[in-house]
Amino acid sequence: MRRDAWPPAVLAVAGVLAINEARRLRFGTVAVPGPGFFPLALAVSFAAVSLVLLVIALRASGVGQLDGGAGTDRHPEEGGAKWKVLATLAAMTLYAFALEPAGFVVSTAGLVLFFFRVLERQRWVVAVPASMLTSIATYVVFKMWLQVRLPPGPWGL
Amino acid sequence: MDIAGGLLYGLGVALAPGNLLACFVGVFVGTLIGVLPGIGPVATMSLLLPVTYAMSPAASVIMMAGIYYGAMYGGSTTSILVNLPGEAASVVTCLDGYQMARQGRAGPALGIAAFGSFLAGTVSVVGIMLLAPPLTKVALSFGPPEIFGLLLLGFTMVTYLSAGSKLRAVAMALAGMLLGTVGLDPITATPRFTFGSLTLADGIGLVPMIMGLFGISEVLLNIEKGIKQDVFLTRVTGLLPTREDWKRSAAPIARGSALGFLLGILPGIGAIIPTFISYALERRVSKHPERFGTGMIEGVAGPESANNAATGGAMIPLLTLGIAPNVVMAVLLGAFLIHGVQPGPLMIRERPEMFWGVVASMYVGNIILLVLNLPLIGLWVQLLRVPYGILFPLILLFCVIGVYSESGNMWDIVVMLVFAVVGYLMKKFGFEAAPLVLAFVLGRMAEESIRQSLLLSRGSFDILLTRPLATTFIALAVAIVVLPAALPGTRAALRMIGRETTE
Repeated sequence: MRRDAWPPAVLAVAGVLAINEARRLRFGTVAVPGPGFFPLALAVSFAAVSLVLLVIALRASGVGQLDGGAGTDRHPEEGGAKWKVLATLAAMTLYAFALEPAGFVVSTAGLVLFFFRVLERQRWVVAVPASMLTSIATYVVFKMWLQVRLPPGPWGL
Repeated sequence: MDIAGGLLYGLGVALAPGNLLACFVGVFVGTLIGVLPGIGPVATMSLLLPVTYAMSPAASVIMMAGIYYGAMYGGSTTSILVNLPGEAASVVTCLDGYQMARQGRAGPALGIAAFGSFLAGTVSVVGIMLLAPPLTKVALSFGPPEIFGLLLLGFTMVTYLSAGSKLRAVAMALAGMLLGTVGLDPITATPRFTFGSLTLADGIGLVPMIMGLFGISEVLLNIEKGIKQDVFLTRVTGLLPTREDWKRSAAPIARGSALGFLLGILPGIGAIIPTFISYALERRVSKHPERFGTGMIEGVAGPESANNAATGGAMIPLLTLGIAPNVVMAVLLGAFLIHGVQPGPLMIRERPEMFWGVVASMYVGNIILLVLNLPLIGLWVQLLRVPYGILFPLILLFCVIGVYSESGNMWDIVVMLVFAVVGYLMKKFGFEAAPLVLAFVLGRMAEESIRQSLLLSRGSFDILLTRPLATTFIALAVAIVVLPAALPGTRAALRMIGRETTE
C-alpha cells in the first residue's frame, strides 16, 4: 500500500473501534440525547471522513502506479536520524516509570546523561557533570524556588 | 464603570508591584521562547500553568497573556536574523526580513518589527476596550443555542482556513471532539471511552495533549533532521528605522493592525493566518509586488503588526463569552479556571480587576517589550548560538515537569508521550494539530450546549433556527462551506489564502 494511504487507514480503523465502543453507551432520543448520542454521531462521522480520505489516497496511488509508480516515494528527504527519535521516546517512557520510585533528581540525571552521552556523543567527563548539574538546577528552580509539585524519591529528592 | 474609568482602574491593577513583575516575567519568558525555535507559546504557557497556583488570579493571567504576545515579538528576531521562524506566526517575516538582514539592514528590520508590534498592540488594546464592554451586553443574551452556533462557526473556520487538505482538517477536528468525550458524560456522569482507567475517567488532560502534540513532537522532528544554526553574523546596527522606512511602513502597520485585530476575534483564526493575509495584501497594494521577497520593509511591518494585533483580538471572545477562539486562548482559559474565575459576560462586572487589569497589563506589557527588546537584541542573538544538543534535553525536561506538576500523576506523562508520537506522525503525514486541539477544547462545550438546547426545545432543532443570533452564526458557517462552491470568486480567494498559507 502507498505511504499516504496508511494514515487514513489507521484513522478509519480507529473510527470503527470508536463506533463499536460508543454503541455500548445509552443513545437516548433526539429529544433527550443520552451519553452515547454525541460519541456515536462523532465516531460515525469520523470513520466516514477517514474512509473518504482512504479512498482518495488509494485512487491517487492507482494513478501513481500508472505513472510508473511515481507516487510511491515522494518523501526521499525524510531519511534522517530515526533511531534518535525512537531512542528518545524509549528513554522518556522509561523515565516516566522511574520518576516516582527513583525520585526526580536521580531519574532526571539518568535521562539527561542518556541524551548527552548517547544522542549527542559527549565525552563522559562532560556528560556526567553536565547531567548532574542540569538535574539539580531544575530541581532547585522548580521545586525549591517555584514550588512546583515534583515526585519525591526515596531520599526526599 | 465607563471605559476611561475602567482603564484607569485597570492601570492601577496592572501597575501593582506583584502584577507588574508578573507582566515583566511573562513578556520576558515569551520573548525568550519566541526567539528559541522548537518551543512555542502554547507549550510554555502549559508548562508554567502549575507555577501560577501560588500567584493571585490577576497576576497569573497577566503573566500568561504576556507570554503569548511576548512570543510574537521574539518570533520575528529569529526570522530576521537566522531565517528560522522562532514561532509559527513569524514564518512570513522570514521572506523579506532575512533578505533585509543579508543586505545589512537587520537593524531596521528588527526595529520596524518591534515598533509595528507595539503600535499594533496599542490598536488591539484600544479595540478591546471599545468593543468588549458593549459585546458583554450582547453576550448576556447568549443561551445554549447561540453558544452552539458560535462554536459551529468556529469549527467551520478552523477547518476551512487550515493550510492543507480541508478533509484532513475535518477528520482532525472530529478526532479532537471524539477525544473530548473521553471521561464522564457532562450531564449524566456516565463513563465514556474510559476502559476502566481512573486516569481516563478524568478525561484526557489538555496540558499533556498540548505538550505532546506541540512540544515533544517538535523536538523529535528537530533531533531527527538536525537543526543547523547559522546566525547572521553582521553586527546589528541602527535599530531605529529611517524616515523613508517609516514612510513605507506606516500604511502596512495600520492595515496589519486592523486586519490582525478583526481576524483575531473570529474563532479558529489564531495569529498565524492574519500574517499571511497581511503579506498577501501588502503585495497586492504595492506598486512593486515583484520586489517582495527581496527585502521589502512592508513585508516585515505588515505581518509583524498583524500577529500582535491578533493576540489582542483573540482576547475578546475569551473575555466576553468565555470561549477560547484558538489553542493559546484555551490554555489562557485554563489559567482563569484554575483560579476559580469564569471568563464571560459577567466577569467585567463581578471581577473588574481581572478584566480591566488584564487589558491594561497588555498595554503595559507592550511598553515593556518595546523598551526591553531593542536593547536586548544582542542577548537574543547570543542565545541563538546555544547548540540544540543542550537545548532539547531541557525542553523535554520542562515538558515533563509541566505535565507532572499539574496533576501529580505519572500516567499523564505517558499520555503526553502518546500524543508526542501522534503529533510527530501527524506532521510527517501532513495533518494539522490545531483543529484537533481546538475541537477537543470546544467539543465538550458544543455537546453541552446542543444537549441543553434540545432539552430547552423539547427535542426540536427549530430552536437553532428561530433565535436570530444563533441562526446568524449557523448561516455564516453554512456560507463558508457553500459559498466557495457556488461562487468561483470566493473559491479563488480562499484558494489564494490557502496557497499563500502553505507556501
